[in-house]
Amino acid sequence: MTLGLLAQAGDGVAPIDTPGVAWSALSPILVLIGGAIVLLVVGALAPRRSRIGWHAMLTVAVAGGTIAAVVPLWDRVHDDGPYSAVASAVGVDGFSLFVTVVIAVAVAIAALLTDGYLRREGLEGPEPYVLMLLSAAGAVMMASANDLIVMFLGLEIMSIAVYVLAGLHLRRRRSGEAAVKYFVLGSFSSAFFLYGVALVYGATGSTNLVRIARFLAANTLADQGLLIAGFALLLVGFGFKVAAVPFHSWTPDVYQGSPSPIVAFMASGVKAGGFAGLLRVFVATFGTYRLDWQPVVYGIAVLSLVVGAVLAVVQTDVKRMLAYSSINHAGFILIGVQAATDEGVTAALFYLAAYTFMVAGAFGVVTVVGRRGDGHHHLDDYQGLARRQPLLALVFAIFLLAQAGVPLTSGFLAKFYVVEAAIEARSFWLALVAMVSAVVSAFLYLRIVLVMYAGAGDGADTDPAAGRPRLAVPAAAAIALVVAVAATIGIGLVPDPLTRTARDATPELVAASD
Amino acid sequence: MVELTWVIPALPLLGFLLLLAFGRRLGDPLAGWLATATVGGSFAATVVVFLGLRGADGGDAHRYTQTLFTWLPAGGFSVDVGFLVDPLSITMCLFVTGTAALIHLYSIGYMHGDEGFSRFFVYMNLFVFSMLVLVLGDNLLLTFLGWEGVGACSYFLIAFWHTKEANASAGKKAFVTNRIGDWGYLVAILLTFFALGSITYTDIFAGAGGLATTTATAIAVLLVIGAIGKSAQLPLYVWLPDAMAGPTPVSALIHAATMVTAGVYLLTRMNPVIAQASPWVSTTIAVVGAATALFAATVAVAQHDIKRVLAYSTVSQLGYMFLAVGSGAYVAAIFHMVTHAFFKALLFLGSGSVIHGMGGEQDMRRMGGLRALMPVTAATFIVGWLAIAGVPPFSGFWSKDEVLLFAWEKHPLLWAVGLVTALLTAFYMGRLVFLTFFGEPRWRRAGTHPGGEAEQSAAEVADDGGGATSTATAVTAVAAEQEVHPHESPWTMTVPLVVLAGLSLLGGVINLSFLSRLQVLEHWLEPVVEAGEHHLDSSSGVKLGLAVVATVASLVGIGLASVLYLRRSAADRPAEPDILLEGWHYDQAVSAFAGGPGRRFFDATTWFDRHIVDGAVNGVAALIRGLGGVARGLQSGYVRSYALGVAAGAVVLVAVFVLRGVAL
Amino acid sequence: MGQYLPILMLLVLAVVFAALSFFASRLLAPRRPTAAKSAPYECGIVPSREPPERFPVRFYLIAMIFIVFDIEIIFLYPYAVIHRELGGFGLVEMAVFVVAVFAAFVYLIANGALDWGPVKHLRRVDPRVSTSRTAATTVRRVGLEGREPETGEAA
Repeated sequence: MTLGLLAQAGDGVAPIDTPGVAWSALSPILVLIGGAIVLLVVGALAPRRSRIGWHAMLTVAVAGGTIAAVVPLWDRVHDDGPYSAVASAVGVDGFSLFVTVVIAVAVAIAALLTDGYLRREGLEGPEPYVLMLLSAAGAVMMASANDLIVMFLGLEIMSIAVYVLAGLHLRRRRSGEAAVKYFVLGSFSSAFFLYGVALVYGATGSTNLVRIARFLAANTLADQGLLIAGFALLLVGFGFKVAAVPFHSWTPDVYQGSPSPIVAFMASGVKAGGFAGLLRVFVATFGTYRLDWQPVVYGIAVLSLVVGAVLAVVQTDVKRMLAYSSINHAGFILIGVQAATDEGVTAALFYLAAYTFMVAGAFGVVTVVGRRGDGHHHLDDYQGLARRQPLLALVFAIFLLAQAGVPLTSGFLAKFYVVEAAIEARSFWLALVAMVSAVVSAFLYLRIVLVMYAGAGDGADTDPAAGRPRLAVPAAAAIALVVAVAATIGIGLVPDPLTRTARDATPELVAASD
Repeated sequence: MVELTWVIPALPLLGFLLLLAFGRRLGDPLAGWLATATVGGSFAATVVVFLGLRGADGGDAHRYTQTLFTWLPAGGFSVDVGFLVDPLSITMCLFVTGTAALIHLYSIGYMHGDEGFSRFFVYMNLFVFSMLVLVLGDNLLLTFLGWEGVGACSYFLIAFWHTKEANASAGKKAFVTNRIGDWGYLVAILLTFFALGSITYTDIFAGAGGLATTTATAIAVLLVIGAIGKSAQLPLYVWLPDAMAGPTPVSALIHAATMVTAGVYLLTRMNPVIAQASPWVSTTIAVVGAATALFAATVAVAQHDIKRVLAYSTVSQLGYMFLAVGSGAYVAAIFHMVTHAFFKALLFLGSGSVIHGMGGEQDMRRMGGLRALMPVTAATFIVGWLAIAGVPPFSGFWSKDEVLLFAWEKHPLLWAVGLVTALLTAFYMGRLVFLTFFGEPRWRRAGTHPGGEAEQSAAEVADDGGGATSTATAVTAVAAEQEVHPHESPWTMTVPLVVLAGLSLLGGVINLSFLSRLQVLEHWLEPVVEAGEHHLDSSSGVKLGLAVVATVASLVGIGLASVLYLRRSAADRPAEPDILLEGWHYDQAVSAFAGGPGRRFFDATTWFDRHIVDGAVNGVAALIRGLGGVARGLQSGYVRSYALGVAAGAVVLVAVFVLRGVAL
Repeated sequence: MGQYLPILMLLVLAVVFAALSFFASRLLAPRRPTAAKSAPYECGIVPSREPPERFPVRFYLIAMIFIVFDIEIIFLYPYAVIHRELGGFGLVEMAVFVVAVFAAFVYLIANGALDWGPVKHLRRVDPRVSTSRTAATTVRRVGLEGREPETGEAA
């Protein structure tokens, strides 16, 4: 910077020292943003309605392109090791690439669900897809940020797009309410995060994660107050994004109010971004100070597990139930974070990947059952679903049982790995709490399943199913559900590829070689 | 021939898949035949493998591992999908596939005409597959998979007629209770892995000797928790009696013969670890078993529903197996498991035949005299009864005698409890048999009965109930009376009964205790259980004495039952109007016999069951709901209060961090 | 302390500027109010009660679009000053930025954000959303909650 100023002072044209931009390293983000821009322009010029859902198709293609862009990077990381680009601001390692793929998958599934939803509600247009892609780009940025400022940038790009998405349904008051709530509280938490960034900068003299990690490893701080307070505030910001107790209060209201396919993305993609940032900053960067932050994450994990499970039981609205259960799942993933070991990170990544399919699929079914107006989310609306539409009920049951952690589904292994990591890290009590909460939340999932299968309940004379129209499952949503089911069962049966990949995907902070 | 192991579980799986795809099209009864054929084929394969294993000789020849593929490889935690064939698992397989095949055959007749016919067999085949995975799995995790699988099938089948609210809630109760046990099992797996670095059984057998006592104790305790849940022991037994809401063949297969014995199997399988644990663990197992056996037997005495009597009886018999395991009598436990599978399956199927013949009636107070109308059912049922009562030479005598012998060596008090239980068992089973098959028909109130005081009898029905039950039962009785024409069941149902009766009669020969040469099962299982097996040191005189005492106890129980339920009934048969009233007098006579407090004690145990134990389960659920309700108050919906919550959380976080920093 | 002095001065200047403009408009603008002019809506009907202040949401939209271009200027001007020093890197970055802004601009125009005139419906209104106005307010009733489905009110 000084160099630049000096150059300006003089008359000569001395080039400013600009960072080299390794476009290849940014290719996943570029594909997402480029796709969003193209979709925006083309979508604006073309008619909004069309019989073939090319908005959704294009979005899926962009998500596929993102994954395709990851492949060569993955190979390079595999062969030459992780590296960083753009003046060490962006890191390319197995971790960021893994999360990128998870987020891309979440976008693809959510886009497929959104198509049918928009048609049903008469809201067709490219905006939801554009926002989803931008939000995903932000989440990917969080996952690959090697600098706290970049991470904040990613956080905001991700969040602001999602705030708007929450209010997507213009004619539902709840949707607008959700958007406003999410926006106000989200901005509030972002402020905490930014303050945390400032404090960490004050303590370590850098916002670059690599330099911070080096600094913390090399120096012993005489006064840790600043740094520690920075930890706390950063944790508030991340805790809010991943919906961990006590920063969870927005979750049920926002999940309930937002359009269901958007919730599918929120619960999978946004959560993945938040956890990626958390793992990157805390486990990878502040790893040397883990004794300071571990107990606090431990506490948050316990609270999330317990509050999520217990509160979910008393809900009667399925979307709220799933919202609380997502808090419970956040607690499980936090167990992996808390372990602060490679096993813990692997387990958290596995969990995120498995959870993406489960939760996106579950909200996919909710989207379908919600019917026109997106308002049929009470438990009663699910009564006797198994008799009316056995296949849909079976699919939902699979997602719910997977979330409950029933063996032969991905959910079981996800929980298993996380708990294993906790025990390996000698957090026995946390493991016990996790298992107890799994038992409690199993009750909740079973409740929904039983309602679907139990049918008419006590009043056999009045069949509640009688007056209800058959639910239409749009073709795109059907594809999404089939994919999600296949992944949930497939990962449960043959987890090896995913486990192996997740094991290669621990975050490594490497300074730029250029 | 042992290479055929994979066929054993593969056939039911195949059947499951076929039925899932084409079950509806096959319909009734073809779907049933397909299911039966696959399970029968599985039994045949088991026999082949068994003969192959039998033929092998020397050292480790009786143990064969077949690894199919690696399930969770890489890193320190590697799990294969593989099958371990050894004397224990093949013994289990033999009787599991055998009884399952018979029960499948039986179900073709029993489920005939049910709208969920093919669905029923889908679940049944899936269950058999899961059970075989449980038994054959060569590591703890695979066994756990089977464990969960059988559990899931069990919930589905309990709630099979899910239109009834009670059935659905019974399924739910089974799920929740079992989850507690599963939790123990899961932690045990993790602990085993960290202690031994492997969860494969062969590694566990090899490494168990080197375990620290505390570690082994912890693992053993957790396993016991798991086993208690699955095998319906105190205090987690509550789900089993309610599970009788399912179709009767389900009760026979899952809740009597196979699934509920999984806990006993698991403990037997892990006997080297239990042997390494503190002695109090096995003592606890024995005490839990004995207490459950006695408790459930006393409850069984006071039941009226024929299936509930058998359900409590199952809990009680499982208690015996636990008592055996706790006493270090693993062979006896397995022995009793096998014989119990025979005679309890027989009894359940017999009761199903009765219920079938009676058009759905389950209340013993409205049965009686069925002996003449259902000769095959009655004859086979009586065989089962004598077997469970422990009358020589029926199979139950031999296995129960073994258990009691080991209990005696563990502690005479345990033996005494077991003996009292045996007496009660003989008594309540006698009561069941006499009320059902002997005495005056109490279901017949109109038309066909030649003695025909129809009106009077019907009036009696209304009178005799006296209390709360009278109106309701009378109404149903009147409604049902036109339809009740007890008849013998079709051959698909009676053939399994006859086969099982033969097995119940002769099953004891696999381990005749009086000659060492004849203890086939013991020699067969010896390599598996040698680490934990207690070795008897009683003299043959003591053995003989105990056997005699046990036999006498059984006979006394039967005698008491016949005094109270059979002879009076026979004598009173000509006496017309009071006959049903007399039936109630018998129950009062029980009170008199047990000295007043006896009846109250039985009632008290029933009450305890219903209110305290049930209440505890429901209470936990209620507590969680209550907590949730309170916490829900915080979820006001106002952004400002949410923001306050976030801010407060942030403050707390900073405070915790900084305070910890200061403390450090 | 001295290093913060410019910031303080900037702060004071900003406040003074805002206050000055505010008062200047008051002082300089001619004020000849009549009853009809000060009524919120010049529709000929005398309002019976104090209405809330309203103005079209369109103004917000214009303001936001303005901010977007404002930011573009803020970016472009410094770049124009030192574009030589930044070299190729600067050119690429600016191109990326301009493309993004232009795409947004195209989107805005295509959706009629800059059309001024009577409200044009972007798409056919959902038949279940009433096009008639309620008696109580001038706001069209929207939303599906609490409404009988398919009342036929729309016709």
